[in-house]
Amino acid sequence: MEEHRDYTGAKLGMWLFILSELLLFGGMFILYSAYRYKNPVDFHHASMELEVVLGTLNTIILLTSSLTVAASIAAIQRGQRKLSMVLLMATLALGLLFLVDKGFEWGTKIEHGIYPNSPTLLARTKGEVLFFGLYYVMTGLHGLHVLVGVGVLSVMLILIAKDEINPMHFTPLENSGLYWHLVDIIWIFLYPLFYLIT
Amino acid sequence: MEPEEEPRITRYRTYIFVWMGLVILTGITASAAGMQLGGWTVLISLAIAGTKSGLVLNYFMHLGSEKLLIFKVMIPLVMAVFLVFIILTFSDFAFRGGVK
Repeated sequence: MEEHRDYTGAKLGMWLFILSELLLFGGMFILYSAYRYKNPVDFHHASMELEVVLGTLNTIILLTSSLTVAASIAAIQRGQRKLSMVLLMATLALGLLFLVDKGFEWGTKIEHGIYPNSPTLLARTKGEVLFFGLYYVMTGLHGLHVLVGVGVLSVMLILIAKDEINPMHFTPLENSGLYWHLVDIIWIFLYPLFYLIT
Repeated sequence: MEPEEEPRITRYRTYIFVWMGLVILTGITASAAGMQLGGWTVLISLAIAGTKSGLVLNYFMHLGSEKLLIFKVMIPLVMAVFLVFIILTFSDFAFRGGVK
């Protein structure tokens, strides 16, 4: 017996979830803008301590991963199953690479004694404390979302391998892709706001 | 049998062009940060970030090729409302008396 499926409903569900995620990060962006408004010089100085090259690289990584996941969906629509899986694996690799970079970034900062509530950080000006607090929370929460995305897309990869996602039924992949693009969009805003403050 | 989901298939070429645009915009925003543009830098960065998001939403997330109005209208509308929230909240905060 055919399972009843509601593709529009599933897609709508994912979009509604995406909008709720926008509220989650949006609230933090408002907080960021308020603190930056009050501490422009401190934010500028603190921002200079972040690795712009690594941040830019991570931006390119996520943008490319959005390309590969979108192409992966197009591939499965065309019945190009192997290509779809290769592109999805590329997406996963890029996502993991992003997290590795993040790990290095955080690692160097923590090595220098800059982490939430550290004595080194607390000795700095109030504005810088706020900047790094926001930096850790926002990039941390974003990183968590990337990790979840990697998990979800891994499941999709398995489903394609088992032919449960195929040209006739690929809505789960499409919706997972939507989630991944959201993660990319959030980073598109995080990047200039944390790394490019002049 | 026609698949009932998303019969429209985007060309790979479209995706690659969009990606190139995104990379170029990233380059522009990074260089703009290096220039002495004062207060304009934030606005330019946000405008570029908005454009990049628009590209991702329209092409990668298929909002542009959505047949159902509810997606094409609701999503941008909700985002516009949310933008107003941000602007109003920030304006309120910016014009307050003496919060440190």
